Amino acid sequence: MSPFELAEPRTLSQALDLLDGEGARPLSGGTALMLMMKAGVFRPRRLVSLAKLKLEGIEPAADGGLRIGAMTTLRALERSDQAFPVLKRTLRTLANVRVRNVATVGGALAHADPHMDLPPLLSALGARVAIAGPGGGRSVPVEALYAGYLENTLKGNELITHLDLPPLGKRRAAYLKCTTRSADDWPSLGVAVMLDGDEARLFISAATDRPTRLAAAESILKTGDVKRAAEAAAEEVHIEGDLHGSAAYKKQLIRVYLARAVHEARNAVH
Amino acid sequence: MKRATQSTETPQVGRSVPRLESWLKVTGRAEYVHNLRLPGMLYGKIFRSTVAHGRIRRIDVSAAQAAGGVYRVVTGEDIRQLIPEPYFGPAFHDQPILALDKVRYVGEPVAVVLASDPHVAEEAAHLIVAQYDELPAVYDEVEAMTSEAIVHDTLKPAGTFPDLKHVKGKSGTNVALDFHLRRGDAPAALKKAERVFEHRFHTQQVMHTPLEPLVSVAESTESSLTIHTASQSPSFVRIEVARLLGWPENRIRVRVPFLGGGFGAKLYIKLEALVSALSLLTGRPVKVSLTMEEQFFTITKHPTTFRIKTGVTRDGRITARECEVWWNGGAYADIGPRVTQKSGFTAPGPYDIEHVLIDSYSLYTNRPPAGALRGFGIPQLVWAYESHMDIMARELGLDPIAFRRKNLLRDGRPQATGTVLRDVALDKVLDRLAVLMDWEKPFDRGNGTLRRGRGIAIGFKACVSPTTSLAAVNVSADGSCTVYCSTADMGQGSDTAMAQIAGEVLHMAAESIRVVHSDTDVTPYDMATLGSRSLFHMGNAVKLAAEEARDKLDVLRKELGLAADAEIGDIFKKKYGMQAGNVVGTGSYIPTYKSPDANGLTDNATPFWMVGATGVELEVDTETGRVRVTRMVNVGDVGTPINPKIVETQLSGASIMQLGFTLLEKMEFDGNGQLRNASLAEYRIPGFLDVPASLTSEAVVAEQRSGPFGGKGVGETGTFGVSPAIANALHDAVGVRITSLPISAEAVFEGLQGLRA
Repeated sequence: MSPFELAEPRTLSQALDLLDGEGARPLSGGTALMLMMKAGVFRPRRLVSLAKLKLEGIEPAADGGLRIGAMTTLRALERSDQAFPVLKRTLRTLANVRVRNVATVGGALAHADPHMDLPPLLSALGARVAIAGPGGGRSVPVEALYAGYLENTLKGNELITHLDLPPLGKRRAAYLKCTTRSADDWPSLGVAVMLDGDEARLFISAATDRPTRLAAAESILKTGDVKRAAEAAAEEVHIEGDLHGSAAYKKQLIRVYLARAVHEARNAVH
Repeated sequence: MKRATQSTETPQVGRSVPRLESWLKVTGRAEYVHNLRLPGMLYGKIFRSTVAHGRIRRIDVSAAQAAGGVYRVVTGEDIRQLIPEPYFGPAFHDQPILALDKVRYVGEPVAVVLASDPHVAEEAAHLIVAQYDELPAVYDEVEAMTSEAIVHDTLKPAGTFPDLKHVKGKSGTNVALDFHLRRGDAPAALKKAERVFEHRFHTQQVMHTPLEPLVSVAESTESSLTIHTASQSPSFVRIEVARLLGWPENRIRVRVPFLGGGFGAKLYIKLEALVSALSLLTGRPVKVSLTMEEQFFTITKHPTTFRIKTGVTRDGRITARECEVWWNGGAYADIGPRVTQKSGFTAPGPYDIEHVLIDSYSLYTNRPPAGALRGFGIPQLVWAYESHMDIMARELGLDPIAFRRKNLLRDGRPQATGTVLRDVALDKVLDRLAVLMDWEKPFDRGNGTLRRGRGIAIGFKACVSPTTSLAAVNVSADGSCTVYCSTADMGQGSDTAMAQIAGEVLHMAAESIRVVHSDTDVTPYDMATLGSRSLFHMGNAVKLAAEEARDKLDVLRKELGLAADAEIGDIFKKKYGMQAGNVVGTGSYIPTYKSPDANGLTDNATPFWMVGATGVELEVDTETGRVRVTRMVNVGDVGTPINPKIVETQLSGASIMQLGFTLLEKMEFDGNGQLRNASLAEYRIPGFLDVPASLTSEAVVAEQRSGPFGGKGVGETGTFGVSPAIANALHDAVGVRITSLPISAEAVFEGLQGLRA
């Protein structure tokens, strides 16, 4: 690991100033960043810690949804009474308790590794992220955060401050993932399903380079034909083979897990 | 605390003594080389080859040398100035300390940057530029037999170990060793056989993954050298470094504290020659600590191809077997030739077969070197012969256990080499496995997309021979006892076992005995901690040493006119007038052995045999091919367990490790010999969630009469049967036969698609 400067600003504007310039990066939980730095694939000059910005916390929103601070740890969300059951179930299988104790919601969203579990699920749930920048704030749907593999749409001096999650209401959601090597491996496929009456929001990730919405499958699912929707899902995305499996095999996983996730969402108890 | 002199009548052997070092380990106080820092120490960072096979044209170290904080950059040519023939290895002196003239695999060490700050060394290593004239490369073990690409232009047999004296290699080929065994006339018997089955099996390249990566530190004067190293074989390191430098052994001291796992990765000589040369070149202490990722480029397990052909009567009696095994040794032989021979001669399995033919080949390729890994080649062989047995049983319509029982070697019968089996509880192990698996009871086979199956496998191993262990037992004037032995405790509990053996002889609680770790200035010679040999060989040496100390104390009692049960402290007080003096007992142990003849036959191949069997129940998701092992049962013949709890955890630990090699782990290479998954993020080892919900490990009631208090080794036994038991259970569940490891979900799914087509 090469030497770097660590800054610990106390205000958001200080943080944004410190992020201005080459080689500066925000540091939240550090679980992904530190591995990349140790491997030498990422060599920052300055890390800007977000720990003292008071960005943690989970609050009920006026519309009945939730506002989750970017620096809320995954473990805090998992243990929160307010978190939706589908979030808690998903978090319990995300990495391990040591990682969840320090990794943060904002970091998990910004990292843009397609193998992560929260981005497809939060996309399916219709969540939005609030972003602060030198020119003010903006808000985008979670799925709009991703441009490609390990590539987000944040500008260099922008920060995620919180996540807005709409109320679940009568909607039903499920997230399933499949690992093809060890049980705690990065997933080969993550499938998120949200059902709202006949309407569905379907996202997959891990097999794709970013959380990807399955529009064709969503439209077929309105007819109730899960099998045909699962076939359409496997056909509508571009898949590449890697160490987790060939493209053909991952398409099979999409067929199987999409159907299983829809089934689980239909039977979900919230 | 009990007085040290207090004797005990409580048996020490057969008691589950908690490991002596547990408290040090859980409180973070156990000594590891990784934590060692010496004044003025330099850190070395290795620059590695990016091509699989090539002549070194130029190594430009100028930018690295000029980088701020860099002390020196060292290449193979610099080492040649210090050591004219800087090649090491236990079977061949084929491995250069740093690459010379040629590189032979991607990841081979080419240069080292030295700096007081390890981060500076690491950064500067990126600045080295090497140019190679690339040569054709060979990666596959079967292709290596006839390939135009030759990995080594000349072969340099080592001649260090008595059992490897015959190793010559075949010049102008990639064959480091070819072992042949002919018993009876297998080709003729196969022609006459009622049924003949022939299959080909393959295993993949995997890594040991000790949690503590390889690490060595050397400090030197002009005439002495001390090496602190995470090594399983300090005595060999001393001999080999002395040979390289042309020094006498007594000027080289090798110290080994605890190891954070070894599994065969830390055997013979690895980083020790490098840190020694670097320390002598610079006059400073030098430390090289590998990262987890660098271990993939250091030592691995042999990939193999195994063609097996068996003649059998219609009612299931095996009459003949041919075994042809190719071992992919990678770029340097390491201990591959021994694996090829010592494991090779058990290739027909634990069966009573009149006509046997074995051809076993150790091959050089342009892959990272392969050596010993928990089982020393046996798991690769059992994978093939027990998968093969299962296929035959099913084709013949025989129960898999009944078929094995019918052909199993019994005590008193000769194995393929002609060595007669003594104290080998093969039948007991198989019978006990059948009971624990409820084999006779109905089995729930699942339904819908979840199908269930079960399978078993049994294997055996001959302990490597002949090898030597020496030990000393010191009884101090207060009656406390210290054991000196060079066995490395790498997590297998050898300190505790040796204390139990000494304690049993001297009537002392094992907990009160101190075991001094390997230090070649202090502890006597030991061949190495490998191949499950220590409990038997070093155990025998410690027992002999303790007996000598006990006898000396008895003689003193008599001479001094003391009662036969006089306390030890009183002996010394009476003899020396105060608390002074000590007695030292020594023991040395080497079993008898006879080298195989021209036909590979010998009536004394090994001092003892290990037997391991595994039964598995599993579930298959027929839509995805994913396999979940729900139950695993391991049964072993370990002689009389010295420490039953450690025996159980050695069996279960070994089986979980082998479960990873069966279902998960594989080093994936591209067409240019580049490793695609050199990280634990992409090379997955089993985690707790992969451990079967039901896991049972048991030793049968047995005795190894030549072992210390009836005991013998157990470190590898749990690996033998796991892979074929899983493949056999998979076939039982869904009818898919996998012949190549690992058994990936995708391979199972493809197999299922094949059945549906």
